[in-house]
Amino acid sequence: MTPKPTPPTLDRRSFLKGLGTSAVAVATVQVGAMADELNKASALPTPQGPAAVPVSLTINGEKKDFQLEPRVTLLDALRNFSTLTGTKEVCDRGTCGACSVLLDGKLTYACMKLAIEVQGHDIRTIEGIAQNGQLTPVQQAFVECDALMCGFCTPGFVMAATSLLESNPKPTEDEVRRACSGNLCRCGTYPNIIKAVMKASGAPLPETNEVIRYGSLA
Amino acid sequence: MNNFQYVSAQTPGQAIDLIADKNGRYLAGGIDLLGEMKDYIISPDLLVDVKAMNGSSFKGIVAATTKAPMHVFDAGRHSGNLSLSGGGDTWSLSSLVTIAEIAAHPDIRAKLPGLAEAASEVGSPQIRNVATLGGNLLQHSRCWYYRQPDLVCLKRGGTTCYAHEGENKYLSLFSGCKCVTAFSSNLGVMLSALDGGVVFEGGVGKDAVPGPLVSLRSLYAKAWTDPVTDYSLKGSGLIGGILIPNNRTHNAYRQQSERHEFDWALVSCAAAANVKDGKIYDARVALGAVSPVPYMVTEAHHYLEGQTLNEETASKAADLILKDAKPLAQNGYKIPLAHTLIRRTLLALNT
Repeated sequence: MTPKPTPPTLDRRSFLKGLGTSAVAVATVQVGAMADELNKASALPTPQGPAAVPVSLTINGEKKDFQLEPRVTLLDALRNFSTLTGTKEVCDRGTCGACSVLLDGKLTYACMKLAIEVQGHDIRTIEGIAQNGQLTPVQQAFVECDALMCGFCTPGFVMAATSLLESNPKPTEDEVRRACSGNLCRCGTYPNIIKAVMKASGAPLPETNEVIRYGSLA
Repeated sequence: MNNFQYVSAQTPGQAIDLIADKNGRYLAGGIDLLGEMKDYIISPDLLVDVKAMNGSSFKGIVAATTKAPMHVFDAGRHSGNLSLSGGGDTWSLSSLVTIAEIAAHPDIRAKLPGLAEAASEVGSPQIRNVATLGGNLLQHSRCWYYRQPDLVCLKRGGTTCYAHEGENKYLSLFSGCKCVTAFSSNLGVMLSALDGGVVFEGGVGKDAVPGPLVSLRSLYAKAWTDPVTDYSLKGSGLIGGILIPNNRTHNAYRQQSERHEFDWALVSCAAAANVKDGKIYDARVALGAVSPVPYMVTEAHHYLEGQTLNEETASKAADLILKDAKPLAQNGYKIPLAHTLIRRTLLALNT
């Protein structure tokens, strides 16, 4: 069986290319405009995927090369395509904060970023904050204040606290609560987490057992 | 999420050409987009990353005081249409600025405190750090029937709005529409009160775009009548930035949520006006989370013109704004809540 002949297709690019050469004699003004259009059309970058493509990420100062489909999230790349499983997956919808990492120093949900879009950016994970085997003041304070029960949310909270103290070394309790508002702990260790962050900042420990603050109604 | 192709555009023109008529979406912060893709509510074949673009006439945040010459416009106040023209004094914000940048910007905090407040109430620190102004304005419905992967509600092209008879405590108070989703962009509410305009890259001639510059009201108008849409924009339309006229001295934003942080507004209220010697002029008040669009009542604006701003006049304005409310079975509480927020927001203009 002979394959059906494919009808010639005319896309925007080939149309403009054909037009660009045949229109030369018509009018110089039009040719100029057409040449601009032609340049624009032929300069379009080529979409990548949907199959796996090379993706290069800078994680904790180290360059790592991956082969990833464009739909792979940064979280997925960390946990399932490398060995950095400290960043946790819980909701996968940008709600619980367990996957929090620092992207160019800014606290970010790794589940809501594609790996392919964060190439060339500085990614810092929970594995990258302690130096030379020494816990950071935030990590040490989490240990001392018993700021965890099951511990699954802990890496996310530590990243949120680290991010806060980097931009605001002496936060108030309100600022700590606000900085941790994008993280959830289903064991309910919030009071100890707040204490730990305050302790890491060197502030006197707050005496609070309030877990969730409801908005004050009129 | 389903598989797709990815490409990063270098200029707005490239981004528009790349999407063309494909089943593609622009990727900026990605918070709303990836959420919908993960739940299979949308499944684009192509994502065009617009974060690395150069060549837009919008760059970051430019305060009105610097007399930015780039875009200026007259607000045709009665028609609600905006048109480009020479002269004038506007704020200019790139659609790619993040919510965190808006909330922290010193000029915005000083001169547009309502906008800073609206931005600081968006999501969590993680969301504010990546979510953009453009994405916040164009986010899709948060109605839980729309977001439920296994249902095809009216907004997703089905035949039934499950919210009318279902769990509707968070939905529309002005429920004459077929789809009773509640408008959820804080910035959309505030920018409506400030009479802002949205500027499209590519300008005139693109079918997908209603015009080079449209008012916030026109941007959302279609969501009131057409249940399948969230705004009057389709396909390759790309917002370059936002212009805010610098013609009202005072502005404020208040919202009430169930949680103190990281929560959607049950009701939000934004107001902008000129206030002189305790009297209010050119007032605009917008409510969020009570209808599919930022809800404004011209009659209330007319009533407020020249009034002394006090509890009594603010209360009368709130009565006028809420007079057509038709609560659903579970959201009658939004009436007294909105009334209080309107009064508080208006009185906050006096400070």
